[in-house]
Amino acid sequence: MTRLNLNKILLWALFGLCVIWLVIPFTIAILWSLVDPSQPWTPDHLLPPSMSFYRWGYLWAHSSLKIAMFNSYMLAPSVAIVTLTLAMPTAYALGRINFPGKEVVKLLVLLPLVVPGFVTAIFFTAILFQLGLNAWRFGAILFAHSILFLPYAIRIMSVSFETVRQDHIDAARDLGASTFERWKVAYIPALKPGIMATLLIVFIYSIEEFAIAFIVGSPNFTTIPTLLFTNLGANFIRPNAAVISLILVVPNVILMLFLERLLRSANPALSSGKG
Amino acid sequence: MKAVSVKNASMHFGDFTAVQDVSFDVGEGEFITLLGPSGCGKTTLLKMISGFLQPSSGIIEIGGKDVTHVPPERRDTAMCFQSYALFPHLSVADNLQFGLKQKRLLTAERKQRLQDVATKLDLTAQLDKLPNQLSGGQQQRVALGRALTMRPSVVLFDEPLSNLDAKLRDSVRMEIRKIQRDYNLAAIYVTHDQGEALAMSDRILIMNNGRIEQAGTPHEIYGTPNTSFVADFIGDANILDAEVIGEEGAGRWRLGTQIGELIAASAAPPVAKTLKVCWRPEKAQFGPGTENTITADITHRAFQGNYTDLFVMIASAPQRVQWRDNAVGLADSLTMHIRPEDIIFLEAIA
Repeated sequence: MTRLNLNKILLWALFGLCVIWLVIPFTIAILWSLVDPSQPWTPDHLLPPSMSFYRWGYLWAHSSLKIAMFNSYMLAPSVAIVTLTLAMPTAYALGRINFPGKEVVKLLVLLPLVVPGFVTAIFFTAILFQLGLNAWRFGAILFAHSILFLPYAIRIMSVSFETVRQDHIDAARDLGASTFERWKVAYIPALKPGIMATLLIVFIYSIEEFAIAFIVGSPNFTTIPTLLFTNLGANFIRPNAAVISLILVVPNVILMLFLERLLRSANPALSSGKG
Repeated sequence: MKAVSVKNASMHFGDFTAVQDVSFDVGEGEFITLLGPSGCGKTTLLKMISGFLQPSSGIIEIGGKDVTHVPPERRDTAMCFQSYALFPHLSVADNLQFGLKQKRLLTAERKQRLQDVATKLDLTAQLDKLPNQLSGGQQQRVALGRALTMRPSVVLFDEPLSNLDAKLRDSVRMEIRKIQRDYNLAAIYVTHDQGEALAMSDRILIMNNGRIEQAGTPHEIYGTPNTSFVADFIGDANILDAEVIGEEGAGRWRLGTQIGELIAASAAPPVAKTLKVCWRPEKAQFGPGTENTITADITHRAFQGNYTDLFVMIASAPQRVQWRDNAVGLADSLTMHIRPEDIIFLEAIA
């Protein structure tokens, strides 16, 4: 078998996998969200017998979807920026300074990821109540999310800091650059992909996070995931859940594609040896 | 006035001494090379001059001013890095102007200097390109140009040619030297390549174990090395242990060595009764002479194109001989002589 043929087969296999993995669930979610309440979608039909945007309009008008979206899209960018800012000093130390026990610290930073989210959430909220932060729910969730997603941010940014080349910093200094100019010319270009990746990942985690948003926020602070879960409980209506999950997931996919493009356009010379 | 003066500079890292009590001056327009094996302290010394390292003791002066405690961004030096360290996201023009922008030079002056350097280094066609679109040689020139636009008191080179292939290295070497002369810049050039040092320098400082082992013009260093380290590091040398048996007239000494008794002629007397001496392989003279005639057994032959390397045994001491005439020395043994003035006195044997 020629190499070209093998490549073709693998490409089709990958394509097939993508269809099974992404396209089918999406299609089903879209179909469910379009089910008109006049005629239920029963298993004996391949497609819903009657399709309309009724559910979308209904949820938009009659549920707390607007508020939940506003909350989520206020919260997630704030969490992304706060987490990135908080991660910077530790990431700088892990990426650029040599100190004894550095490897241990790197491991410790990642340790919180081992604990399941719900377990952390239950005890974390207890601390929030003790701190009195529960009164300002937006702030409490912002704080909690920032702390929870810090390991990801530190991990990504410390690797980013490692890629900053010392000779670029030295060259900038040698040519008379101030501290600010040194950051601009030597650090920022190398950190940019890491910063983007951190912002995006934290944004997505925050948008999708349920446990803390639910425990701290309920009953009067709704985000998209808590709204989704209220539609999954006793009053489970599949078409409504489909609408909300699509609202939850579509921006993420768009952002992912955007990041993919961004990382691809990042200057390849930054990571290569010369230049 | 001296462009750079280093006075009794030392650098300690914990227990390790990287540079020990080094002093030297660089005159205006002078090209100095710091030459030595890796770990000899030459790069550390360069970092002390550029300001990236603070000497543990001693004084660094640039343009007559004490800059020992001045940080690199405020020193009148410009460095050419081994890796070039070009900013990959900036165009060639922006790389070249980077230092001038930091200095907040007037736009007209900046443009003029940029044009000047770009013309001299043949980079005018590359100004809008990014560094990774250039060849290695061109990147090297941008790195040099970025330093030159600063019009510094001294340009510092940290093994700038080690990333280029051999052919290109020769031409860039000459180019660097020409431009350094054109601008009448003082230059300190760090390398471990002895050929580079001999070809480029006004003066070479040979470093070993954090000290300057010998300083002098390339001719002095090659012709009269002071120690066996220098003799061995620059060019090839046959080094022998010798005992001074007696003086044979003015400036001539009779020596006892592993390869027999030799007559040596030197302006400077030997430093001790037992010492190291050396002779260069290419100084061997074919056939018997009036003095120092030696018969050697040839153990190995290596054809090098323009000469032949002969590895010979002289009284069970391995020596090396280089003949220009490739036809010579095809026999198993050969007779040769060494002129007394070609035997060089080195350091005493402790």
